[in-house]
Amino acid sequence: MKIALCSSFVPFLNSGARHIVEWLEVMLIKEGHQVERVYLPEVDAPHLLFQQMTAFRWVDLSAADRVICFRPQAHLISHPHKILWFIHHLRSFYDLWEDDLYRGFPDDAKHRGLRDALHAADTSAIREAKHVFSNSRVVSERLRQFNGVESEVLYPPVLDPQRFYCREYNDEIVCICRLEHHKRQHLLIEALQYTNTPVRLRLCGLSSGPNYPEYLLHLIEELHLADRVTLEVRWISEQEKADYLADCLAAAYLPKDEDSYGYPSIEASHASKAIITTLDSGGVLELVRDGVNGFVTETTPQGLAKAMDQLYVDKNMAKRMGHNALNCLDEMNISWSHVLTRLLA
Amino acid sequence: MAPFVWGGAEELAVNLQKNLIIAGHESEILRIPFQWEPAERIPTQMMMVRAFELWNVDHVIALKFPAFYIRHPNKTLWLLHQYRQAYDLYDAGQTNLPPNQIGEDIRTLIRNADNETFAESRRIFTNSEVTRQRLAKYNGFDATVLLPPINDAELFVGKSTGNYIFAGGRINGMKRQKMLLEALSHADSRVKLVIAGPPDSAADGEELKATVARLGLEDRVKLDIRFLPRDAYADYLTNAAAVAYLPFDEDSLGYVAMEAATAGKALITTSDSGGILGLVRHRETGWVAEPTPGGLAEAMSAVYADVAVTRAYGSSARALWHSFNIDWSNTVETLLP
Repeated sequence: MKIALCSSFVPFLNSGARHIVEWLEVMLIKEGHQVERVYLPEVDAPHLLFQQMTAFRWVDLSAADRVICFRPQAHLISHPHKILWFIHHLRSFYDLWEDDLYRGFPDDAKHRGLRDALHAADTSAIREAKHVFSNSRVVSERLRQFNGVESEVLYPPVLDPQRFYCREYNDEIVCICRLEHHKRQHLLIEALQYTNTPVRLRLCGLSSGPNYPEYLLHLIEELHLADRVTLEVRWISEQEKADYLADCLAAAYLPKDEDSYGYPSIEASHASKAIITTLDSGGVLELVRDGVNGFVTETTPQGLAKAMDQLYVDKNMAKRMGHNALNCLDEMNISWSHVLTRLLA
Repeated sequence: MAPFVWGGAEELAVNLQKNLIIAGHESEILRIPFQWEPAERIPTQMMMVRAFELWNVDHVIALKFPAFYIRHPNKTLWLLHQYRQAYDLYDAGQTNLPPNQIGEDIRTLIRNADNETFAESRRIFTNSEVTRQRLAKYNGFDATVLLPPINDAELFVGKSTGNYIFAGGRINGMKRQKMLLEALSHADSRVKLVIAGPPDSAADGEELKATVARLGLEDRVKLDIRFLPRDAYADYLTNAAAVAYLPFDEDSLGYVAMEAATAGKALITTSDSGGILGLVRHRETGWVAEPTPGGLAEAMSAVYADVAVTRAYGSSARALWHSFNIDWSNTVETLLP
């Protein structure tokens, strides 16, 4: 089958949104399909939104037997056999609308008008699809709430999960994801002030700008934590990631109300490591159950500190939770064979 | 880009990206789908490109219609080809634009939009002399020829001089592999032919098979119709007696020709093949035949008439190619001074 995988991207910004596309591409090619990956640029500036949406509407992929659309506004692409694997809305116009900081533009008549027109356009484009999948219950719920569309949750697996394994449980909590304010690495650093054990922290990832990494460095210095925190501001290799996860005590992943469970939690689970997250982390809570395969804490440095100490003190518990994390993947049907069966049905 | 079609332009983009990264830059490829049928929809495809926003990018190198319409304050064109069916192919009567007012309007639109985007580009390079001349003739813009380097040059070291003529690359009507088969039936009986490459459509491959059967050439032709791994392709090329490449009025020298010259192979082409004529000099680096089965048959037979001469032509082709002094590090420096 000729399958076009359509998504939007920000040039030079790597993120999980590329992984879901490119890993699926690898798996489809393995299955003998012809795949065309179509990444089109999109910026979220409200006054440029509809102009760009028109561009998406003009994309002609009639050469494909089927298109699968991911990141917005790729779902606007018109095709007789359109499948959506919907990963998020333009969130500042949806669930983050009420949040002045994340919305980033005024809640006035003009922007409310744009919002309503966007919702209408999205809803009709989503309704054109033969089938709508989402990457999480959180996103499915939003599709129901804002667009009145039912969708099937299809959890995205990671590529070659067998490369993740467990070697030991050392004294380090690792957090491997982009360094961004909404991923809240600063809370993890602040937590170390309140721990009663010498538990350590490793933060690895690139950032979209210099400010947040600088802020983290400043925080480490100010709290005199240089000997307990390792901050690697770069895109670490897949091998390094597998190594860190193989050896760590547990992983932490606490994005602010994220849409999906996030690859960092899945990778940690494949390495049999418990996951620390917070009550307001959104999709991550679909995977992490408090006291079973990790901890779901209050969104405070103190709450995080307590979880970190518990894992440090009781390594048997860390190990038990890690094994539960691995088992959860099967229970939730997180596998490529399931994904391919559903997308190609 | 045409969805699901992978050709020379795609390879060029991949290798340009690779060499930009080698030179210390960050680089991404933006491939914008383009569907030219039905022709009435070409204008929306052009506006689509114009409506995209490309942010977080310092420098754009644009290669093709309609992707080169992308708006960016720092845009360099390395023009591989324009929408030729609105220009030279239109003049040659080979256009898909409808023969009515709508067709005329689309042609005017393309010309005006091209002129606008050429004017807004910082610098314009073309991939061949043919493209440069066409741009000057139809749009009145000056450009500098920047020939694309070959990729994986180390694979193309000449090996044996085999007993076959090799025709590699994409298989379709414009590349005229069928004419080679027709020529073969008129050529010296010693001439053997290997045609290998991916067909644009299944029908293109089937047509060659049918032609071989119709002309009874089974024992003199090997058809290897598929996308070949790079080393399998290089193996055919480096062990050939000569290499034939006869696209209809193509814009560029063509990778097949450049790789053949690198490997020191004599070249066969036709007088209407366009860019490749920059590398094929008649009875010096190969043969420039009339674009007829008879003319080609004569050139193909000549390959076998005197092997020493054929080899000498091959050496001359290599020397000519090297004299152009084209490699990736020079190219990147020219594009991003």
